[in-house]
Amino acid sequence: MDSDMEISLDRLPIKRLESIEENGAERFPSDVDYDDKRVSLIRRIDFAWALEEEDELKKKKQKKSSKDSVEQWKWKGMVENLQLAHQELTVIIDLIDTVQANDAVTVAGMTRPKPMPNEILSDLAVSTATKLQGYRNLGNYFKQSAKALEQKINREARFYGALIRLQRNWKVKRQRMLASNASNEGFTIDLSDSSLYDPTSGFRPSTLSTIRVDHDSAGMLAINVPQDSWYSLRFGYVGLNPIGNSNESDEHIDSTTGHDIPGTSEKLSASDDKYVKETHSLLREVHKSIFAEQLFDMLNREAFNEGVGFNISGLRENFMEMSIGQGASLFVSLHPSGKNPSIKKSESATLLIESSGRVEPAEGGDYRLKKLGFPNRTSYEIYLQQIFHEHAFGKAKDQLKSKSIRASNQTEKDSNSGLLDHFCLSLTHRIFSNRVLVHLESVVCKVPYLHLISHPTWNSRTSSWTVFMTVPPSIIPQGRSETQSPDGKRNLKTQFRTKVVVKDDCISVEAECTPNVVGLLKSSSCNLFSINKYECDVADLPVMILQQVASQIVCWLLEEARTVGTKASREFLSLSLEIVEGERVSLVAHVNPEDAKGCISWWLVMENGCTEEREGVSESRKLLGHLSLDVLYSVLMDLINLCGTGRNALERL
Amino acid sequence: MDPQTQNTSLQRLQNVENRVVKVLELAGGVMEELASPSGPKKEFVNSHCREFMQSMKDIQVTLREEIKSACEYRPFEKCDYNARIANEICFQKLEYVLTQLEDLKQTADRYPSSD
Repeated sequence: MDSDMEISLDRLPIKRLESIEENGAERFPSDVDYDDKRVSLIRRIDFAWALEEEDELKKKKQKKSSKDSVEQWKWKGMVENLQLAHQELTVIIDLIDTVQANDAVTVAGMTRPKPMPNEILSDLAVSTATKLQGYRNLGNYFKQSAKALEQKINREARFYGALIRLQRNWKVKRQRMLASNASNEGFTIDLSDSSLYDPTSGFRPSTLSTIRVDHDSAGMLAINVPQDSWYSLRFGYVGLNPIGNSNESDEHIDSTTGHDIPGTSEKLSASDDKYVKETHSLLREVHKSIFAEQLFDMLNREAFNEGVGFNISGLRENFMEMSIGQGASLFVSLHPSGKNPSIKKSESATLLIESSGRVEPAEGGDYRLKKLGFPNRTSYEIYLQQIFHEHAFGKAKDQLKSKSIRASNQTEKDSNSGLLDHFCLSLTHRIFSNRVLVHLESVVCKVPYLHLISHPTWNSRTSSWTVFMTVPPSIIPQGRSETQSPDGKRNLKTQFRTKVVVKDDCISVEAECTPNVVGLLKSSSCNLFSINKYECDVADLPVMILQQVASQIVCWLLEEARTVGTKASREFLSLSLEIVEGERVSLVAHVNPEDAKGCISWWLVMENGCTEEREGVSESRKLLGHLSLDVLYSVLMDLINLCGTGRNALERL
Repeated sequence: MDPQTQNTSLQRLQNVENRVVKVLELAGGVMEELASPSGPKKEFVNSHCREFMQSMKDIQVTLREEIKSACEYRPFEKCDYNARIANEICFQKLEYVLTQLEDLKQTADRYPSSD
């Protein structure tokens, strides 16, 4: 019986903490009352073990009775013990019977036998050991949790740190519906400008305008944008620029701003800072692409409006071609700006082969562009974006501001209806004005005393230049000339200007000090400060300019002659001095824009008022050639001297 | 985290998270100390418990502040996308001007200097 004895320990009474105050004082729930305790004790009575024991004992008895007959003397003590046990058992069986008969037992107070000191000690030891083990387990559990939580925090700090840095520049939104799987918290980056999507504007939101933000395998933020899905705007001249392919300069730009979406392996090594920057520039690329798409969309809609400046000649997906004035035709296309270098290389290679017949090599193309007067395509690509951005996108932003601008600028208001039209007209104007400039330059280059100044007009459809000439100072001292003009105003000009203004495709020339149209041939004097205005076409421009200049020179010489008191008169491009009665000598300018040496040449013509014979006239002409202003001045002075000496001198000529 | 973001809301919340980790570690430390075979040291347990309670208090205060300020957060108030595009265009202009200047320089370099 001793050997079978089992020690069963009650579990430690669990006293759960109700709360801990800040100073560490623990508060427990109030103790259960006596009745509850008693009921719970009754519930713990379990007689199953007793029944089992009884059965076993019965079996044992049967076995042992057979054994006892053989070796009775050996087991005598044991039999006595068994009998004692039997007595105890019968007591228990009696109890069971009573319980069975009554269905319930009332336990009337049960006092626990007072434990022995050693029992108390061992109880305490066991419970303390268990408690210590519990503490240790709890300690380990806390430490593990701390470690796991720390890792999680660090991962999230990376992710949210990156996200919050992107949020400084981009709209980050969260949709809880999307936050289904573990790799996605439901964050998206919204690249659309909501202020532009009012129903009247008719913009369609781009497919790229919402970008999902995911975690990658390392817990870092990853945006998923399909490669090659964004566009850039291309503008060029048909037949001169490759269509739909970026040229060298664009590739250069791509290489500086371009970047790859970093792979997982790269990302681990790259610092977060660098990665956020990369993501940022990727988003920037996409944002630009959205603008390009919107711009192209608007261009398409504008293309259906009537415009005076353009004529659509080709339209297909992401591509439009139109002819504008001055024999130019241009294209605008949306061109996928792929970041995959291998694809790009093969693409450009095939396009090079494809277009080799049509597109000249870069230098030749540039030369041809210049010859045709086509402005640089990059500048107009920028201009196209600029006007659309200012007028279509800026409008939504600050209506008031743009209104005031438009009110102050009438041309802007006119052009606002058709931006594409305005753009094409601007481009046409630029081509035209480039050609005008070529003419002006050729004239100014050939005449050494002419200078050309280009003026900014701040208007894309107006250009302006001034051709000016500085005449040598008069040899008559200032003081003397002042005595001759009693109003105290020195009436000798030292500079003469001819202003050329081109508006759209109309050239107007404003020249100082030239005879007006009515008095062109009649006037015998000139007003130094009068300004006359003419209109002409580009073919007549060089002659026109040269005539104005020659006229200004004649005017200057006339004034110089009058300053010294000589009688002189002018007739358009000739200056006549009367040497003696009826005998006149004239300086006549001859203009020829084709003349490579100087364009303006001078003739000395002698007229005899009495004899009108043609032979005499022909004999009295003498070519002086291309004279500089200084030489002309001295010729004039010589002639004035002649006037003083009279007929003899004339005959000497 | 660089120092300039030290005072962002994110940084403060991250501090709270780190403090939770610290609290767990403290609790673990105290438990281990209590279970130590040589018996717990009173000062150690006291100081750790005090630190524990202080951290709890800090966490609570910070969270309350953050919850209050979260209401003032309006992310889409100032959308500068439009202005950003204007910037991009200006950037293109600058790049273009740079290439032009480069061309000018090359042209100028082709002529011997007059000095």
